[in-house]
Amino acid sequence: MPESAFLEMQNILKEFPGVVANDHVDLQVERGEIHGLLGENGAGKSTLMKILYGLYSQDEGDIYLDGRRLELDSPQDAIDAGIGMVHQHFQLIPRLSVAQNVVLGEREPATLFRSDGESRLPEAVRSNGVVQALARRFSLGLDVPTQRIDDLADQYGFDIDATAKIWELDVGQQQRVEILKALYRDADLLILDEPTAVLTPAEAERLFDSLERLTEEGLAIIFITHKLNEVQSVVDRVTILREGKNVGTATVSEVTQADLAEMMVGREVLFNVEKDGVELGEPVLQLQNIHADNDRGIESLSGIDLTVRAGEVVGIAGVSGNGQKELAEVAAGLRRLTDGSITVGGTDLTGAKPKRFVNNDVSFVPEDRLRYGCAEDLSVMHNAAMKEFTDERFGSQMGLDYRELAAYAEELVEEFDVRGVRDVTETNAGDLSGGNLQKLILARELARDPDLLVANQPTRGVDVGAIEFIRETLLEQRTDGTGIVLLSEDLDEITDLSDRILVIYEGEFVYETTPEAADRDRIGLEMTGGASTDAATAESPQPIATGQDGEP
Amino acid sequence: MAGFLGGLLNATVSAATVFILAGLGELISERAGVLNLGVEGMMLSGALGGFIVTVVTGSTWLGLFAGIVAGMALASIHAFLCISLKANQVISGVMLTLLGTGLTTFYGSRWVENSIDGFSQVTVPLVGQYLVDIPVIGTALFSNTPTDYIALALVPITWYFLNHSNMGLELISVGEDPEMADTMGVAVFKLRYLAVIIGGGFAGAAGAHLSLAFSQLWVPGMTAGRGWIAVALVIFAQWTPSRMLVGAYLFGMLDALQLRSQALSFSVGADTPLAGIINPTIDFLMNGQIMATYPYLATILVLSYAVIKTKSDRLAVPSALLQSYSRETD
Repeated sequence: MPESAFLEMQNILKEFPGVVANDHVDLQVERGEIHGLLGENGAGKSTLMKILYGLYSQDEGDIYLDGRRLELDSPQDAIDAGIGMVHQHFQLIPRLSVAQNVVLGEREPATLFRSDGESRLPEAVRSNGVVQALARRFSLGLDVPTQRIDDLADQYGFDIDATAKIWELDVGQQQRVEILKALYRDADLLILDEPTAVLTPAEAERLFDSLERLTEEGLAIIFITHKLNEVQSVVDRVTILREGKNVGTATVSEVTQADLAEMMVGREVLFNVEKDGVELGEPVLQLQNIHADNDRGIESLSGIDLTVRAGEVVGIAGVSGNGQKELAEVAAGLRRLTDGSITVGGTDLTGAKPKRFVNNDVSFVPEDRLRYGCAEDLSVMHNAAMKEFTDERFGSQMGLDYRELAAYAEELVEEFDVRGVRDVTETNAGDLSGGNLQKLILARELARDPDLLVANQPTRGVDVGAIEFIRETLLEQRTDGTGIVLLSEDLDEITDLSDRILVIYEGEFVYETTPEAADRDRIGLEMTGGASTDAATAESPQPIATGQDGEP
Repeated sequence: MAGFLGGLLNATVSAATVFILAGLGELISERAGVLNLGVEGMMLSGALGGFIVTVVTGSTWLGLFAGIVAGMALASIHAFLCISLKANQVISGVMLTLLGTGLTTFYGSRWVENSIDGFSQVTVPLVGQYLVDIPVIGTALFSNTPTDYIALALVPITWYFLNHSNMGLELISVGEDPEMADTMGVAVFKLRYLAVIIGGGFAGAAGAHLSLAFSQLWVPGMTAGRGWIAVALVIFAQWTPSRMLVGAYLFGMLDALQLRSQALSFSVGADTPLAGIINPTIDFLMNGQIMATYPYLATILVLSYAVIKTKSDRLAVPSALLQSYSRETD
C-alpha cells in the first residue's frame, strides 16, 4: 500500500444515543479502483458514507482527500471537495428535465452573461459583479450545460438525452443521470449506495461496464453493497464492516465468497440449508383454473391450477412481472378473481374477504414490505400484534391489554432476532432496516402457526445473515406442517427450499420439476418463454434485455 | 347589445385582475410547497391598507404599495408558522383568513364613509384615443387602470421567473423535493419564505386593486370569497401562469356579468311554445342574487373537474405541497 491513499478516513467515531454506529473505522481508497464497502444492514456502512458526504459530522477522526484534510459540514462542502454520491433513492425531480436536474444549485447564467461563452455583451458588462449576481439568479442558460452533459455522456457511453424529462427515463437511465450529476460537478470520488438494488440483472451489467470506464479515467469509486456476487464481479478491493467496526480490507481476487461472508457475519454462513424429509398431509390450498387481472386491468393470471399440501414447499420461479405478484395476492385473498375457485383447508373461499383468509389460517409475506407488509408509522408492538390483537388474552372487546401486547411483541422480537428495536412501543416499524423489518413481518405471520404461508420474495434486499435466518425459519415451519407457497426470483433459493418447483410465464405454469431433477438451464429457458425470448419481456413496463444474455 | 358587451368586457378585465394577482401569488407559494389558504385575509388587509393610505396621503400609488406591504406582513406570519415552526399549513392558512377578516372588519368600519378618487383609466399616448374607439373591444383592451396592465405583465414575468431563471428552478425544486434540493445546496428555508411573502404581496395587491380601482370604496368583507376562488384557480391552472390567465378571465367574466345583469333582460315571445316555463326560468337565472352564486358554482365545477382529472392524468401538483421540511430527520 502506498504511503498515503487518495481517500483516507482515519479513526472515524460516530455515536448515536445508545449505539456506536462507527467505532474507530479506517478506510483507504485509491484512485482508479472500485472499492467495495460490505456489511450487513446496520453495520455502519451508510453512517460512514453520510459522514463522508457531509450529512453527518463525525465525533472523532479525520478525513483526507488527495492529502488535504476535509471539514465537511454539509453536502455542498463534499461536492466542492469533489465527492459525489448516488443515493439508493434517486435524488431527482421527475417533472424536470435531465439538464435542469443536473444544473440545479449550480446557478448557470444565460449564455448571454457567461464569461466563457460567445456573447454580444461587452466583456466589461459581463464581468461586472452586480450583473453576474443578477444573471445567476434571474436567468438560466441550459445550452452550455446541455452541451457539457452530452459530452460527458458520450465520454462514458451513457445514452442520455439531456432534454428528456426524468419521468420518461427508466430506472437504469435515471441512475446514470445521478452519476452525470456528480461528474458534472467534477467529482473525483463517487459513492454508490447499493446501486443494483433497483436494477434488473442486465441493467446491473451495464452499470458495471460504466463503472469500469469511470475508473479508467482515474475516478475512485466506493461501492456499497451486501451482495457477495457483486463484490466478486466488479470490486477490486473490499472493506468489511461489522457492528460498526472495520473487520478488514481484502483484495477480492485473493478471497472466496465464503471468506467474505464469514467476515461480514462473524461466523460461518451456511449457503446450503439442510432439509429434513416431511410427511405430506392434506391439501391446504387448492387453486382451480384461476384467472385474475393486474392493477392496470390486464389479465395476468390465465388458468392457474395449484395444490399445496401440508408440509410442502412449492417454489414458483419466474422473471419478474409474469404474474407472481397477482398469484400471491390471489392465494392470500387480496385480489379478486375473474374466474376459477380457491379452497383453503377444505373451505371454499372463492370471492371471500381477506379477513376470512386470515381466519382460515392463511399467512402472507408481501413483496413490498414497507407499503403492504407493515404500518410504517406504527410501533413494532402494533405491527407484531396486527393479526392477533382480537385474541382473548389481549383483553376483552372493550379494551386492549397493552402490557400483554407489549410482552407478546417482545417475545417475537426475541425469538426472531429482530435487531434495532429499542422499545417495542416506541420504535416504529418503518425505522427498522430491511432485513429486520422482514424478520418482524415473518414473526407476525408465523407466530399464528398458519396452515398456509404465501411468501413473495421473502429475502429480497436482505443481507446474508438475515437470509440464512429467514430460510431456516421457513423450513422449520414446513416441518411443523405448514404448506408454503414461495415466490422468488432467486433460483438458488427456490431449489434449496422447495419440494416442488413450478415455473410461471405470462400468467401460466409452463414447467414443473423437483429440486433433485432440476436442470437450471431448462428452468432458465422456461422462465423466459423458451425460444420466444422477446415475448418474455413484453409484459414488463420497460424493455429489459433479459433475453439471450439473461439465460444462464 | 354592443354597448352591453363592451361594458361587460371592460368590467371583465378589471374583475379578472383580482384573480390574476391573487392566483399568481398563490401559485408561486404553492410551487415552493407551501399552501396558503389565507388569500382572503391577505386580500382584505391589502384592500383596507391600500384604502386608508390613499385616503390619508391622497396618493393611489402609495396606497397600492401599502396594500402590498399589508399582504406581505400577513403572509410572513404564515411563513413563520409553517416553515420555521412546521405548523399545519391548512390550519395556519384558515387562521390567517379569519385574522384578516376580523382585523379589517374591526379597524375598517370607520373608513366605510370615506371616498377616494382611486386609479383612473390610462391609455397609450398619441394613438390611445383611436384604439379606445375600436368598437366593443376598444375600451376593454386599451383603457384600463395601471393595476390591470401590471397584472397582465406579471403573467409572463412569473412564467419566465419560474421556468427560465435559476431562482425559479430552485423554487420549483424546493416544492418538489426539499430534501434533495438541500443536498444540492439550495437554500430551502430562504426560498420558501421568499415565495410565501411574495405570494402575500400579490394577494395584497389584488386586494388593493379591489378597493382602489375596481370598486373605489371600502366595505368590510368586500372580497366576498374571491380569495378562495383564487386558491381553486391555482388547481384549475394546473400550477401554470398561462392557464391562470385563462381561468382568471373566465371567473372575471362571471363576476362582471353578475354586476351588470340589471342592464340586461331576455325573454321569448309570449306565443313561443313553452314560454310559460322558459321566461320564468330565464328570470330566475338572471336574478341578481342567483347570479351572485355563479362564481362559486363554477368553483365547485372546476374543482370536481380537477379531481376527476387526477385519476386519469398526472396532475401537476407540486410533490412536496403541504410538507414541512427539517434537516434533522433522515
